[in-house]
Amino acid sequence: MAVLEIKNLHVSIEDKQILKGVNLKMQTGEIHAIMGPNGTGKSTLSAAIMGHPSYEVTEGEILLDGENVLEMETDERARAGLFLAVQYPSEIAGITNAEFMRAAINSRRDEDDKMNVMDFIRKMDEKMDVLDMPEEMAERYLNEGFSGGEKKRNEILQLLMIEPTFAILDEIDSGLDIDALQVVSKGVNAMRGEGFGSLIITHYQRLLNYITPDIVHIMMDGRVVKTGGAELAKQLEAEGYKGLMDELGLDFELVED
Amino acid sequence: METKTKDYVSYKDALEAFSRAHEEPKWMLQLRLDALEKIEDLDLPVIERLRYNRWPLFQVPDLTGAPAAKSIDPFEFIEDKAEAARVIQTGNDTVIETLPDSLREKGVIFTDMHTALKEHPELVKEAYMSKAVKPDANKIAAFHAAFMNSGLFLYVPKNVEIEEPLEAVFIQNSLVEDAFIKHVLIYADTNSNFNYVEKFLTKGDEKNAANIVVEVITKAGAQVKFSAVDQLGLNSTVYFNRKGYTHRDSTIDWAIGVMNSGNVVCDFDVDLVGEGSSSDLKAVGISSGRQTQVIDSNVINYGNHTEGNIFQHGVIMDRATLTFNGIGHIIKGAKGADAQQESRVLMLSDKARGDANPILLIDENEVTAGHAASVGRVDPEEMYYLMSRGIEKTEAERLVIRGFLGKVISAIPLKSVRDELVHTIERKLTSR
Repeated sequence: MAVLEIKNLHVSIEDKQILKGVNLKMQTGEIHAIMGPNGTGKSTLSAAIMGHPSYEVTEGEILLDGENVLEMETDERARAGLFLAVQYPSEIAGITNAEFMRAAINSRRDEDDKMNVMDFIRKMDEKMDVLDMPEEMAERYLNEGFSGGEKKRNEILQLLMIEPTFAILDEIDSGLDIDALQVVSKGVNAMRGEGFGSLIITHYQRLLNYITPDIVHIMMDGRVVKTGGAELAKQLEAEGYKGLMDELGLDFELVED
Repeated sequence: METKTKDYVSYKDALEAFSRAHEEPKWMLQLRLDALEKIEDLDLPVIERLRYNRWPLFQVPDLTGAPAAKSIDPFEFIEDKAEAARVIQTGNDTVIETLPDSLREKGVIFTDMHTALKEHPELVKEAYMSKAVKPDANKIAAFHAAFMNSGLFLYVPKNVEIEEPLEAVFIQNSLVEDAFIKHVLIYADTNSNFNYVEKFLTKGDEKNAANIVVEVITKAGAQVKFSAVDQLGLNSTVYFNRKGYTHRDSTIDWAIGVMNSGNVVCDFDVDLVGEGSSSDLKAVGISSGRQTQVIDSNVINYGNHTEGNIFQHGVIMDRATLTFNGIGHIIKGAKGADAQQESRVLMLSDKARGDANPILLIDENEVTAGHAASVGRVDPEEMYYLMSRGIEKTEAERLVIRGFLGKVISAIPLKSVRDELVHTIERKLTSR
């Protein structure tokens, strides 16, 4: 069992403090959801875990099985078992999707144990099938000219190919129609199991109808303000963030969509 | 051998003997002698942002006709492909020349320049240095016209369409000291349609000059797809002039990989003369070490409704220099002409020098034109994304570079050329 632990995390971007002491602990076998209004630092949390160069951790710790993640480069974090699926991945012409994913898989393997092409193709075909992705997507350039939905499917495809220990999905549901949402959820549910944990960041309860979380965290103003079970998401759907704020006695401006 | 920088006229007798030994037609000798007299007085072509007057470009070749003291095994560089239309030259010698009978029967000529001058003098004369590159255009052109000592002639007759690419490989022999003054003449007759691929390489480390002229003349309606991978050596100082001349409704599409190791000026020009003719000029470049490469792409719209497109991306490493000049020139009267260009340079080192210099000269009102240019570093977002999947920094950088150059490469129609370019880039990047 692996454990990802975030302790008192403070993060700034361009000297503006976004995260003001986030605490969160998760282990493999669990699916956590983080919900919260816009601008409360959900995406900042995911970027800080992965080590995006624009985000500065000013205080606190991120530990993966007790190892200090903050001392690792982004690629080391990924090889240690972390994965982040994003809403707007980079488009890189000239590198095919397949090439990129093979490089990602082989980065985790020893020089004399690289995945052979046939095994790779077989695996990729199988996973693309799960996600209803046409075969030609493998040979297209990485995210180039992909629609929003295609990009998100492609992020999930990478998840299925790389098979990380912990996957953070950052608003992967935004802008998806129901069909696409179901496909994406199917992909994540396929990963569910003892050796896998996921942190799903979402603005809407909708996604959680398809991927039932074990634990739900509500984030506001740079902190986790409430943690509960799957029913917390339902409560939020019914009462809205305003209702929750009243309940918790919180008072700050909500950023509108 | 002595390499004088003036007193070229003293080579008159040697040139006459050379011309006679190769049984050249009279007009050819006359063209050489006229050019010889002009070298002295002509200026170097002006290349923006480059001073190269001290480059050793004016090395006079060995005119004695003696075989080179050391020869090259071409199979060190090429595969054995008996079926293909190919001309392979090492130094000044043609070592392989194959043309399928089906093409020969249609009247296709694909042979070395000296043979072409003997067997098809009138056809060569129609196109040789008379339309695209003129012998008196500048000092380098005149030197070339006088001392050209080997080359290739490709003629595709009217209405002949060829599917498989015609391939030429030129291996500069720098096992010996000798100038490399190569002329490629491609003459596409009315409504012909074909692919041509050429490669330039160097064997050996002698310090030699290369003065290479490639002319592509397209008659009405002809379509030429021209691809090249240039990999001349570290000790070769090179002036490369590739120039197209288009008649009505014809097209020349260029895809050129500039991957030499030494100091190189690439002058890529197209004169869009015939109405409705067009040219797409795509180039990728890599400079490394301490070399300087300048790619001067110059498309001139003379005819109505002509379209010129320049699209070039380059990468610079170490202490090298890479400059892209993109010159789009619309001549007065070229109504409905279109001139577009994009030049981008990616710098991988603080000590690298890069330049992307767009120049639009427009003398006509009813036209469209546009340009984009940039010099930048690797995008940290792209690096982050790749690294977030576990790919190490050096590998991620290599992928980003390939991606950057890939924007041009992916637009090249011929898969074999795309593969060749990717392969060459890979080798260049891993050797640093």
